[in-house]
Amino acid sequence: MTAWLLRRIAQAVVTFAIAVVLMFVLMRLAPGDPLSRVQEERVMSPEEIAKVRAIFNLDQPIHEQFVAFVKGVLQADLGVSIEHGLPVTTLLASRIVPTLLLGGAAILLNFTVGLWLGVRQAVRRGSREDRVLTALSLTGYATPSFWLGLVLAWLVGIELGWLPVAGMQSPLLSPDAPWIVRALDVGAHLVLPALTLSIVTIAGTMRYQRSALLEVLRLPYIGTARAKGIPERAVVWRHAWRNALFPVITLFGLWLPLLVTGSVFVEMVFAWPGLGSLAANAASSRDYPLVMGAALLAAGLVVTASLLTDLAYALLDPRVRYS
Amino acid sequence: MSWTARLVLAAVLAGAPPARPPLALAQREPSSIVIVTGQQATAPVPTLMEGPQNTLANYEIADHLFLRLAGVGPGLVTAGDRGFVPLLAKSWTRRDSLTLVFELDPRARWHDGSPVTARDVTFTFGRARDQTIAPRLASATRRIASVEAEGDHRVVFQFTEVYAEQLYDATFHVAILPAHLLAALPSTAKAWSSFVESPVGSGPYRWVRREEGQFIELAANDGFFLGRPGIERVIVRVAASSDARINLLLAGEADAMDNIPPPTTNLARVEAARDVRLVPVPSNNLGYLLFNQRAPGHRDRPHPILADREVRRALVLALDRDLLVRAVLGQYGYVPFGPVSAQLWIRHGAPSHSPQDQSMARRLLAGRGWVDRDGDGIRENRSGAPLSLRLLVTTSSLTRTQMAAIIQEQLRQVGVELDLVRVEPAVWLERHTAGDFDIDFAASNQDPSPSGLVHSWSCGGPGNVGGYCDPGADSLLQRAIASPKADRRLWHGFLRRVEEDAPAAFIYTQTFVFGVNRRFRDVTIRPESSWSAIWRWPAPGS
Repeated sequence: MTAWLLRRIAQAVVTFAIAVVLMFVLMRLAPGDPLSRVQEERVMSPEEIAKVRAIFNLDQPIHEQFVAFVKGVLQADLGVSIEHGLPVTTLLASRIVPTLLLGGAAILLNFTVGLWLGVRQAVRRGSREDRVLTALSLTGYATPSFWLGLVLAWLVGIELGWLPVAGMQSPLLSPDAPWIVRALDVGAHLVLPALTLSIVTIAGTMRYQRSALLEVLRLPYIGTARAKGIPERAVVWRHAWRNALFPVITLFGLWLPLLVTGSVFVEMVFAWPGLGSLAANAASSRDYPLVMGAALLAAGLVVTASLLTDLAYALLDPRVRYS
Repeated sequence: MSWTARLVLAAVLAGAPPARPPLALAQREPSSIVIVTGQQATAPVPTLMEGPQNTLANYEIADHLFLRLAGVGPGLVTAGDRGFVPLLAKSWTRRDSLTLVFELDPRARWHDGSPVTARDVTFTFGRARDQTIAPRLASATRRIASVEAEGDHRVVFQFTEVYAEQLYDATFHVAILPAHLLAALPSTAKAWSSFVESPVGSGPYRWVRREEGQFIELAANDGFFLGRPGIERVIVRVAASSDARINLLLAGEADAMDNIPPPTTNLARVEAARDVRLVPVPSNNLGYLLFNQRAPGHRDRPHPILADREVRRALVLALDRDLLVRAVLGQYGYVPFGPVSAQLWIRHGAPSHSPQDQSMARRLLAGRGWVDRDGDGIRENRSGAPLSLRLLVTTSSLTRTQMAAIIQEQLRQVGVELDLVRVEPAVWLERHTAGDFDIDFAASNQDPSPSGLVHSWSCGGPGNVGGYCDPGADSLLQRAIASPKADRRLWHGFLRRVEEDAPAAFIYTQTFVFGVNRRFRDVTIRPESSWSAIWRWPAPGS
């Protein structure tokens, strides 16, 4: 197991390095000028442009830029964002908590409610409830997240006035307010974006869980359990469900990085200060240092999620042993 | 719960009466204002707003924190010495045509209580005129020969030449920094980082805190020497998406929003809201079709089609620019005469733009040999080359992409084929700067001074990417700039020459529309710095 783990980690490191190098090269080969967003508002003089290019090493050949980037990474210095004028590490750090909060809430909803509904659908296969849930989940799946977000913000935030329509906290709330008040405030702001993200992604979890459980429920050992008089609830949750989790674990591994960096539209619609919109904006404005910082983080998440998925298989299924 | 019960509950929830947003805290704090904007300020400190930090967001915050010597007056006249209002300087006089003397207001204090002195002014201009520290400001203040203190409250500006905008150059570009806090620091970004994180100014508001990616909070400067601000807290909230900004305004979670963007349905939505009023403000934004007079990719050669002035004039005459503005901007824009945005004072009294005249456009094109020889609706020259052009448009501007489609159709009506090349902003700028286009649907934000026209509309202008060069127009422009008085007629002479040369078809200048909650009265929004007059707004209910 240890040898396998070391080999797997080595693979992950190589994958990570390839992804980062590719990202570095592709970003610079793509057409577009890193100073474009800056000059949209006010035109810069040639002297200013030359000075800024020198500051960000943009006047150097690509291989020298890469060497400078790698040296920086080894010293935990990802440079300064061209657009924001702040260290990339500071920017990424400030967005990590909101990102994990939104991604975590969405994953939690997805893999609790989604799994539970998937199980209900499987055990009530062909019933009216199964058909209604299938229709609803597929409708959610087919709905663009930005559209759903706008509708929810309009209905729940503006018309009903039940929840905040955007942001992560009320700016008028004092930073000295009791932590419970601040936590409730963040929670209220979290509901709509997390709900939007969950609604558009929950169908996948439900469908995977439903079909996986249906497969397992057909197996002979389930018939044996029922014949022994074990209550149906225990048959489903204790005997069948664990074996029906594997496809969902794979899905979880795929979702994990996506929910951190893939919620761009939801973050935009709800002005949620997350990494997704920061990275997308950086890519659009060719803010190379920030794009590379976000790419490092995303690549790290992908390989880590993949590694965790493999480990989860081993933990959950005694038949799976790595050597 | 049965399905029937669930459906009943859902119906009840859906039919619940609209309530005021319980979390719209802005409504509960009468002396606060929450402004929602698209970008967050990162370094709102004078002389640091260079290069990538030269953003509107930084300027908007800096204008609350730091004062200039004087401000541009309500008429936005930048020439002469009369159209300005005192700020840090209580008065100014002339010793001669090259020397301006400012008397600082002795009541002026920094937020830490220290007095504002002449040393602060000389220190700030020392930085601003240093090419290595602030290349943009150094260029803008290049005609200031020296800035010297005479005692604690008198500053003497010496200029290199006589011109009408000496006072403007001495006051508009640079707000004053506290020398007692900064003079001992090295000029590196690192040394200044703690000041950037918590700037100390002399303006009506002082810095409170910044939440990255979310908002910046300012508080009223109780000791502000020009009068205590009526509104005690200013919170500038960030939402990059215009949908999110409008939602915040409509939900009462923000009190004000700058520049409600097209489409016009956005304006209609805000206008329909009971609590919000629309405030139109003349913008500094100018949209135009820039005709490339140099061959794309071969800047040393003339453009095969657009180097011909008559062809350019025909293209301008083929367009119904009033229709374009009405269709996309509604009542919030107009067609300018020459490269002049709604904010420039020289627009007053200028002639009207030439209206659409497609028959004249056809005659001009035919006169230059462009005739439809094969009956396909597109004109060709004598060697059979079609009158076909590419229009470069950035996808970041809905206004321009919508107008481009109408322009394509209007030019087709006179036999000109126009291919729309829609590219993302980063690519657009690269191609714009390299002159890699036939026609570019460009837009620029202008300073309040018309002198800035040199940049794009004179032979050697660094932003003259279309290759326009008319020594006659340059001469008129230089005369207008060098005039010691604000003389509109000189400027209009230059504008007429530009219109005749048709280096571009000037399509629109916008009126920006701001949304402000109705609880605020006597609202003044400054065209050159939107929220800088907030300190004069009375608190709601006062």
